[in-house]
Amino acid sequence: MAFQVHHPESVERAIGLAGELAPDASFLAGGTDLIIQINRKRRAPRHLIALGGIGGLAGIEWRDGECVLGALTTHKTIERCADFQGQLAALAEAARVVGGHQVRNIATIGGNIVNASPAADLLPPLLALDAAVELAGPQGTRRVPIAQFLRGPGSTDRADNEILLRIAFPGLSDSGATAFLKAGRRRAMEISVVSVAAVLDLDANRRCRTARIALGAVGPVAMRAPAAERVLQGREPAEAAFAEAGRLAAEACAPISDVRASAEYRRMLIQALVPRALRHCLQRIEARS
Amino acid sequence: MSKIPLPLQVNGDTHDVLIEPHWTLLHVLRGPLGLTGTKENCLEAECGVCTVLLDGKAVNSCVLLAVLCRGRDIRTIEGLGRPDQLHPLQQAFIEFGAAQCGYCTPGMLLAAKSYLDEHPNQVPEPDAVREAIAGTLCRCTGYQKIVDAIRVAAARMQESV
Repeated sequence: MAFQVHHPESVERAIGLAGELAPDASFLAGGTDLIIQINRKRRAPRHLIALGGIGGLAGIEWRDGECVLGALTTHKTIERCADFQGQLAALAEAARVVGGHQVRNIATIGGNIVNASPAADLLPPLLALDAAVELAGPQGTRRVPIAQFLRGPGSTDRADNEILLRIAFPGLSDSGATAFLKAGRRRAMEISVVSVAAVLDLDANRRCRTARIALGAVGPVAMRAPAAERVLQGREPAEAAFAEAGRLAAEACAPISDVRASAEYRRMLIQALVPRALRHCLQRIEARS
Repeated sequence: MSKIPLPLQVNGDTHDVLIEPHWTLLHVLRGPLGLTGTKENCLEAECGVCTVLLDGKAVNSCVLLAVLCRGRDIRTIEGLGRPDQLHPLQQAFIEFGAAQCGYCTPGMLLAAKSYLDEHPNQVPEPDAVREAIAGTLCRCTGYQKIVDAIRVAAARMQESV
């Protein structure tokens, strides 16, 4: 293992460096995943471009009705963010189950997204919240819905000389709620066997106005479950509808069998956890009204 | 690869060290700085024995590049209390027998300190303490004494404010 570390102080300089040093360069955020990959000899970049010296890439703010998270925002910041303790709880619930505190104090949301692990815990909530990523490259910035950004295990739509700057999602209406559930083989320090995120909102007649469901670790990328979402549309938020959504989500996902669980068991978990996540949302909506 | 000079703030002192860019903070602490209280084990941020405080927050020094620590405040177990004036966590660990083989103890103490500093003025419930130290493994499995010690230390730290 031998590499040089560069410390650009602007996004433009970082993009320039990435272009000059391609294809032997890699951006470095918290490094909690990248350094391990390098140690395991899965990656061997000769240049790391540290992003920590660039200002304005960490923190959470609201802008024009959107919640905007800087790519260098840590999992700990998300976990403790006051805005994510209420109706956006799914984000804090997902951030909280990543590694131990020691990892969450360093690991960033940008890193979690660009690593594009099928089991990345922040991805299902972001998918369910209709988040988009903002990328900066030599040609300027562009915005990509996160569902299109994720291409496969470890693979995204990001070019080598593009930096993930921010993640943004529209705020929910006051009546909406979210939930995130993770199944692992133990309760901490665990890669998800499956994970589920749900967004639920009811209309004035107490029917499902919005139902968005996202699944982790049951396919090459974290994914939405559109059939399950459609079956809830306009329905009464009751067990029958939730169970049907669970069954459709389990049918739609494409899990593999690996050391952590069999494909069959993963489908059973999805079928159980989708209704449970929807129930959590409903309880949260009712607790507020 | 040529070495680069790096000033590091460790336990309140500035150390000018020459490092290679790929060295982790753990490597610099245990090697050039001789601060071997910070332990080395899994090197994959799984076990927590390498825990140090970076700007007051617990981090795994085994996956943190030293070059990212320029200008940051680093605190290791050597900087937590003194033999004649132990930190309340250290005192409680001794009283409760919370150190068995001792290998996880520095990481355990600093993980606990970080958590208590993040949640001041309260005595966390046992489940909260277990979650707080989930990233720090004790393979002697003496967790109950560790949890008890951390809660008593939290109570004493509150009283002394």
